[in-house]
Amino acid sequence: MSARLEVVVQARLADFTLDVAWTGGEGVSVLFGPSGSGKTLTLQCLAGLFRPDAGRIVVDGRVLFDAAAGIDVAPQLRRVGYVFQGYALFPHLSVRANIAFGLRDRPPAERARRTAEVIERLGLGGLEERYPHKLSGGQKQRVALGRALAIEPAFVLLDEPLSALDLPLRRALRDELQVILKDWRVPAVLVTHDFSEAYQLGDRVIVYEAGRVRQAAPRGELLRRPASSSVARILGFRNILCGEVLEAAADRIRLAWRGQVLEASNVPRRAYLPPRETPVVFFVRPEDPRLIRKEGPPPDRDHHTNILSGSVIREVDSGVTRTLLMRLDQPGTPAQGDYDLEIEIPGFVYEVLRLDRDRRWQFSIHRGSIHLLPD
Amino acid sequence: MSPESLNALALSIRVATVATLLNALLGIPLAYVLARKRFRWRWLVDLLVTLPLILPPTVTGYYLIVLLGRRGWLGAPLYLLTGWSVAFTWYAAVIASAVMAMPLLVRTARAAIESVDRDLERAAFTLGRSEWRTVLEVTLPQARNGILAGLVLAFARALGEFGATLMLAGNIPGWTTTVPLAIYTAVQTGEASEVLVLVGALTAVSCAVIFVAGRLGTSAT
Repeated sequence: MSARLEVVVQARLADFTLDVAWTGGEGVSVLFGPSGSGKTLTLQCLAGLFRPDAGRIVVDGRVLFDAAAGIDVAPQLRRVGYVFQGYALFPHLSVRANIAFGLRDRPPAERARRTAEVIERLGLGGLEERYPHKLSGGQKQRVALGRALAIEPAFVLLDEPLSALDLPLRRALRDELQVILKDWRVPAVLVTHDFSEAYQLGDRVIVYEAGRVRQAAPRGELLRRPASSSVARILGFRNILCGEVLEAAADRIRLAWRGQVLEASNVPRRAYLPPRETPVVFFVRPEDPRLIRKEGPPPDRDHHTNILSGSVIREVDSGVTRTLLMRLDQPGTPAQGDYDLEIEIPGFVYEVLRLDRDRRWQFSIHRGSIHLLPD
Repeated sequence: MSPESLNALALSIRVATVATLLNALLGIPLAYVLARKRFRWRWLVDLLVTLPLILPPTVTGYYLIVLLGRRGWLGAPLYLLTGWSVAFTWYAAVIASAVMAMPLLVRTARAAIESVDRDLERAAFTLGRSEWRTVLEVTLPQARNGILAGLVLAFARALGEFGATLMLAGNIPGWTTTVPLAIYTAVQTGEASEVLVLVGALTAVSCAVIFVAGRLGTSAT
């Protein structure tokens, strides 16, 4: 399938350089990354509100911008629906006039019909004569979407559409937004710095950092296989650790970390075969290591790989879960400040195992839970 | 109220009204350009517009004579071509008041336009509006209160203008004598009752302007 959206953009600002290239297809492409990484600027380039120095923007085969060919379609002619951060509804116009704003050039009858249709489909009936300051957060979002969708855009751009809302409302509106975007079947580009938002709404996630694309992948792949330690860090992964290769084979890779030998699964399909002593970065999800009960038989080597031992030096209670900061018994400098590994366990496990009293534990990390990050 | 005083009051209101209209016509576009455009000589335009606010009015008046007087840079060719000079006519009073009032409008309107959310203008662009239509349909309605406040200030300034008007238009009774000039003349010649009448009239007009502006301001929101 060919990409519907093709973006290559370079722009040099006084204190920032944007240099990105990515493609987007059906559904929602999410631009994800920390604030100041160039996400909004990219949207402005797509909408024609900011002119890049170089690059090319193609939507469904229609060239909107091509620096080399001297093409720069005016924002008025791009047919791009833009939902601004904070919505940017016209405060002096009613809901109806806001939604009809982009339809001025249509014949009056068609304009009225289309406006009524959008109002109906978005459940805004009864609010037509209201002004934006009298709308709730959810209604504002729908009006902003309605205004953008009314012009039958080739695609919509959404700039942090949920950032203006409080947390509980945010969850609800995220679901609503997802339903609307699916229902209207318009390709969308959405900007966010909240990963759970990116993951729920995005079919494809493009990770931005410092004006560059660090990775572009379907959302599932992104979580399973972040392309680098910087992507893992942006995604908010914990336990990003550095070790050294001892031996690499197609299916297994053995590494040295903190005086221990760890065994990790390699990906046979695209095996990573670095020579001995190559430094490697890997991460371990805090929920993956398993504590080993002290009563009962000694740990079964088939069941538990990579057995380590250490003690809890601090813990964080976040309600449902407890995060244990573990330091290995092994002498030496701990990997992450004063501890080596974060382990997250459910609150009830904490209670059952009496972790409040018993601080020294053995735990195992399955080889499949050690994720290597080619850097 | 004596016929002369009545005449002065009518002239003052006429001069201030025309000067304010002139301000609206030139000052609002100027405020927009200063607020939204970046160009090479922007600082100079900004400086020239603001200068009358800082300079003593007689100095501004002197520059206006140099520019528009019968032997001025623009005035001389005009006089040569038409045999007419703007100096010492009521048009001169209008020009002097307009120049003195301009900074008040431009500065207030510019601040109001700068405070309009740029995303509103960007939204209008993506919805098919040209920059010109966006200004009319989005920017100006949003900046309306600030612009109205600026126009009221400009009107009040034009109504009270003395120094620059005296320099360029003179003090010709029934012709260029506005109320502030009439008050000065009346004080000089000791006509205490006329002074009171004129001072009262100007105060009343000013109060009315503030009242009307307040009404406009509240109905706009």
